[in-house]
Amino acid sequence: MEYLLIEALQVSYRQNNQHTPALKDFSLSLPFGSIGVLIGPSGCGKSTLLSVLADLNRNYQGTVLINGRSPQECATTALILQEYGLLPWKTVGDNIRLGLQIRGCSKQEIAKKTEKILHRLGLSGLSKRYPAQLSGGQRQRVAIARSLVLEPELLLMDEPFSSLDALTREEMQVLLLQLWQETRLTILLITHNIEEAVFLGQKIFVMSACPGTIIKEYTNPLAGGYSTRGKMGFLELANSLRAGLRGLN
Amino acid sequence: MHAKDLIQKSTYILIATIILLASWHIFSLLLRTPALPVPLAALQSFARLLPDELMPHLTISFYRVALSLLIATVLGVPMGLYLGKNQKADEFSAPLIYMTYPIPKVVFLPIFLILLGIGNISKIVLITLVIFYLILVTTRDAARNLSKEYVLSVRSLRAGELELYRHVYFPACLPAILTSLRLGLGMAMSVLFLVETYATREGIGFFIMNSWSSLAYDKMFAGIIAMGLMGFLLYLLLDACEKVLCSWVHL
Ligand SMILES: Nc1ncnc2c1ncn2[C@@H]1O[C@H](COP(=O)(O)OP(=O)(O)OP(=O)(O)O)[C@@H](O)[C@H]1O
Ligand SMILES: [Mg+2]
Repeated sequence: MEYLLIEALQVSYRQNNQHTPALKDFSLSLPFGSIGVLIGPSGCGKSTLLSVLADLNRNYQGTVLINGRSPQECATTALILQEYGLLPWKTVGDNIRLGLQIRGCSKQEIAKKTEKILHRLGLSGLSKRYPAQLSGGQRQRVAIARSLVLEPELLLMDEPFSSLDALTREEMQVLLLQLWQETRLTILLITHNIEEAVFLGQKIFVMSACPGTIIKEYTNPLAGGYSTRGKMGFLELANSLRAGLRGLN
Repeated sequence: MHAKDLIQKSTYILIATIILLASWHIFSLLLRTPALPVPLAALQSFARLLPDELMPHLTISFYRVALSLLIATVLGVPMGLYLGKNQKADEFSAPLIYMTYPIPKVVFLPIFLILLGIGNISKIVLITLVIFYLILVTTRDAARNLSKEYVLSVRSLRAGELELYRHVYFPACLPAILTSLRLGLGMAMSVLFLVETYATREGIGFFIMNSWSSLAYDKMFAGIIAMGLMGFLLYLLLDACEKVLCSWVHL
């Protein structure tokens, strides 16, 4: 069953009364409960796609269906931005509570859910700190917690681990996989990192330069295997991806 | 930690006071004019006059400034946030704001006196008008320059307009708002002095001018000390507000 269905999507930005297309004839489908990874050159429209899916940009043509509904009707999508988007004036706890507060949940419910997610992501001791007092990896955890506390069905992530060091990055990838196994979310993740794409993406979509469209799609049976990093098939797929991307730049 | 902070702050205030009084003393010795009495004499008359003569004037002046600051904030902050958030409204209103902003509002005092009478209202309206612009423009610019990523991330949590103001725009602009209040306080004090020298027999400005015209310089300086202290207390209040409300800025 396809959870996410995008057909002939076209998005353009207006600048100086000129329409510059960011996405053109973009089609993609992602089954329920799977992890899709988008990879493509800088400026090809990846963030633009996520803003359409998260209902931040309604100015598009084409079909976008999340579980059969338009992004506007679908309130179970969570988005994690490139720069995390944590509010520096709110503590970690308040940042995480924010989504529940906006939904109008009861005090007890908010407290219970926040406590649970803080514990799950190993943030229990940090709930009174401000984002500026956290490391990059901790900030990323908070951003994930803020999304997951809403129990979304679709999680959109824009280059989530790009500013982390190599080890923290791998740690976070494993954490994401664990969370995915626990919740059976559908995840669509953007990355510039080829290894990350192969490690996480059950489906890997390669995009063309701007205006972006999908030029290649891989189904990746190796995804999510904790021990596949460095194996033959892993490297082969990574090399094939790398060759495909190199042709674009 | 807190007690230590307090002690340190008090020490700095003490040092500043000593420097100020010492230079005043030196100046007055050098100038040898009755127009600048030594600080001790001024302080003595301040202490003598404070309970009976100064207090009523001080109270009314404080009331005028504090109320003006309050009204200007209540009007200027929401408008500034709205204009900073809505580009269309901002572009539409910008010429109007920039055409009226540079006009010294004090020139309208005669009109206000005619329209609103010589009571408190005309004074409060004038002071309010002056600070209002300052708060409006500062808040608007802060809201305008707010990083898009905060807005997007909170909108992606399905926040409505009001929630965006509450959780994003207002807290993000609060440091700028408090800065504009501090600047506004200085302006308010000088406008206060001016409006209190016209058509009134109340207020610290009147007290100072009245003492001056009767050549009672020690009284005049008692009034100046009172005015300085009032401003200082208001500054301390604003600083305390910032400590409590914007602790995240000073991490
Ligand atoms: N608000 C905007 N106004 C005008 N043009 C925009 C706007 N946002 C993005 N664009 C343009 O649309 C194109 C796609 O931008 P987008 O941010 O989606 O790229 P991206 O794939 O996420 O890039 P990166 O990998 O560098 O983050 C770019 O060419 C960009 O210049
Ligand atoms: Mg991007």
